[in-house]
Amino acid sequence: MIRITLGMLGAALSATLLSTTSPLAAECPADFPSKPITMVVSFGAGGGTDTIARALATAIEQQQGWTIVVENRPGAGGANAAAWLKTQPADGYIIGATGTDAIAINPAISDVGYSWADFDYLGSGMQTWLGLVALSDAPFDDLQELVELARQKGRATVAVAGINQEILIKQLAEEFDVELVAIPGAGAAEALTSALGGHVDATTQGTLHVEQIEAGKMKLITSIIDRRVPYAPDVGTLEEQGSKAQPLISHTIFITPKGLQPEIATCLEQAIDEGVKAESYVKQMEAFKNEGLNLGAEGNARLARELSEFYNAMLKP
Amino acid sequence: MEMLDHLMLGFSVASLPMNLAFCFLGVLLGTVIGILPGIGPLATISMLLPLTFGMSPVTSLIMLSGIFYGAQYGGSTTAILVNLPGEASSTVTMIDGYQMARRGRAGPALAVAAIGSFFAGTVTTMLIAVVAVPLTAVALSFGPAEYCALMVVGLVSSIALASGSVVKAIGMICCGLLLGLTGVDIYSSQQRFTFGMLPLMDGIDFVALAVGIFGFAEILRNLESGTSSRPLVGRITSLMPTRDDWRRIAGPILRGTGIGGFLGILPGGGALLSAFVSYNIEKKVSPNSAEFGHGAIEGVAAPESANNAAAQTSFIPMLSLGLPASPIMALMIGALTIHGITPGPNVISRDPALFWGLIASMWIGNAMLLVLNLPLIGIWVKLLQVPYRLLYPIIIGLCCIGVYSVSNAPFNVYMTMFAGLLAYALTKFDLEWAPFILGFVLGPLFEHQLRRTMLITGGDASVFFTRPISAGLLIVAAVLLVIIVLPMVRQSREQIFVEED
Repeated sequence: MIRITLGMLGAALSATLLSTTSPLAAECPADFPSKPITMVVSFGAGGGTDTIARALATAIEQQQGWTIVVENRPGAGGANAAAWLKTQPADGYIIGATGTDAIAINPAISDVGYSWADFDYLGSGMQTWLGLVALSDAPFDDLQELVELARQKGRATVAVAGINQEILIKQLAEEFDVELVAIPGAGAAEALTSALGGHVDATTQGTLHVEQIEAGKMKLITSIIDRRVPYAPDVGTLEEQGSKAQPLISHTIFITPKGLQPEIATCLEQAIDEGVKAESYVKQMEAFKNEGLNLGAEGNARLARELSEFYNAMLKP
Repeated sequence: MEMLDHLMLGFSVASLPMNLAFCFLGVLLGTVIGILPGIGPLATISMLLPLTFGMSPVTSLIMLSGIFYGAQYGGSTTAILVNLPGEASSTVTMIDGYQMARRGRAGPALAVAAIGSFFAGTVTTMLIAVVAVPLTAVALSFGPAEYCALMVVGLVSSIALASGSVVKAIGMICCGLLLGLTGVDIYSSQQRFTFGMLPLMDGIDFVALAVGIFGFAEILRNLESGTSSRPLVGRITSLMPTRDDWRRIAGPILRGTGIGGFLGILPGGGALLSAFVSYNIEKKVSPNSAEFGHGAIEGVAAPESANNAAAQTSFIPMLSLGLPASPIMALMIGALTIHGITPGPNVISRDPALFWGLIASMWIGNAMLLVLNLPLIGIWVKLLQVPYRLLYPIIIGLCCIGVYSVSNAPFNVYMTMFAGLLAYALTKFDLEWAPFILGFVLGPLFEHQLRRTMLITGGDASVFFTRPISAGLLIVAAVLLVIIVLPMVRQSREQIFVEED
């Protein structure tokens, strides 16, 4: 039932299995860290990435006995922080907490001064379980019925937040040759508001919709990630519903400027992997109605490259 | 009856010693950061968020929301005393509040702001208790077309904010509109006016701009007089409103509360609109309309009641639907999520103690603010007698810290200085900045909603006239435009005839 795309889950599982043998003490050089580590979040305080970063920082502090200072450097959809991070020393004392979208998509849209290859990838903390949702009383239950509705009405609208979601809707419109129109907006909350008010036919969402589904106000039309989503396990993926569109793969990742010493890289990778499995971190993910997932260093680097190639092809003229 | 039970539950939760203590701490902190120029509730709440992890969810929410509405109180103090808006909505309070202060009436201005806010807070707390859920349905029925029409009403009525030339006001609104477009266009991903600079990709920061335009420029203007030790305001007559003042503010406070209470529930821009829609209404209906812009007490009472009412009702979409109406509400959602409560349609029924406890605490918090602020008025007013050479460096220092904290980068501080110099130069030509600010804030919202509407309808503009709320709002805008422009046309025709004679 679970379809593994891009080989990432495999990498994640093997990383998880390997590291269980060395509990709660990462293998680190003797003099590292000799001062507090700064974790720079690419988005504002209180947001998803921020909460994940803080939860992980707390877990690592408890497990390793380090001091981690969390700072926010929001702006330009994560580009602000990434461009700044690239210029920082690769000594392991500055870790960026960001999203795969910020690393892969921003450089494809405009000249932000960095690309995925400017960073070393330490690990990841969570996958966003994106879905296409509609009001419970919407006259369609799956992707094909939505397509049929668009065909009958002449057009159907989907409120989106983010270029990746917009591209997905465009792919679907082309694939099925209907007027399925992406309505970009100021954010996920606005997209959800439009859908709840019945101003659009459906919306793509990352987190806010889960509560609406549980309350019975909305229903999942299709999972738009690379597997079924745990909050609605009966609803099929894009592929299962007959679409060849590229699913959205979005993880919260931890990176440093390129050129980290291998010993320090190993140390930080292990610390992050142990942190993701910490009880306090697992609890925080439950509060998110999600779960911790670390793709590991290699898995994340590969994902960043593949996503960058995909979005470069889609967005660069 | 059920309502009474709910309120009883709420008050029993809110009056737990722990919750009372953190409510007080919240409103006190809020008042302080509201008064400090440049440091807004958004920055404070995001900094304090991690500290609330150890509290119970309702306690942390009570404290964080105390900071939020406490800052509204404090913000009006700075707006009135030193002409510095902490956030967009106090721009309106400044117009008449600062003029009152210059005339030695800072005391009554501050008192009216506090009393108006308290009244609005009390009424809207009741409102939330009674009609939170049906109101949410109204808010959801506001689609892009309705928002767009609402923004038109806002833009048209912002012309009325000007006390001088209407042509200059329109010019300033257009400048604001243009600057407001700075950043990445979300529909095409194209950059506008960014000169390739990353810090401008999200647009020009409001706090940086407003602190420069109002704060720094005002300081430059005051330095011009050359006397470095003269106190900031005229002689202080009395601290409390007179009987005549009371008579004048009753209507504005009532109307302000109504307008703010309704517009506050609309996600996005509602709270700001409420402050100056209510100001403009008072300017039109008041028998003292000639006094507006020169220190009319109604011009403080109306927007202050409206923005506090809106601050309270902006919790409705967050609590009843899990929808953040503003970045601050998004932070509150973050705070709840950390405690394992996902705000959504189920919160009221699943966690009634949280919902009603918060609402009861808002009323308690407002009462605390009134008790806290009224005696402080005397102290604030005395603060203004501190000589320039001490007060100004402190204000500028605090502004720079606040602006720097927006994104932890010096870019915004440069922006503030540039805006201050520019504003100082342009004020020499009698250009007014309140219409500019409204153009700056409302313009991008208008554009966003217009394009959203057109995308949803596939380019069919008739939707603005076929949807009743949108059509009604556009008619209001048209009537407003006639009321505002007609006297000007008549006046200029009269001038022409005079010249011909």
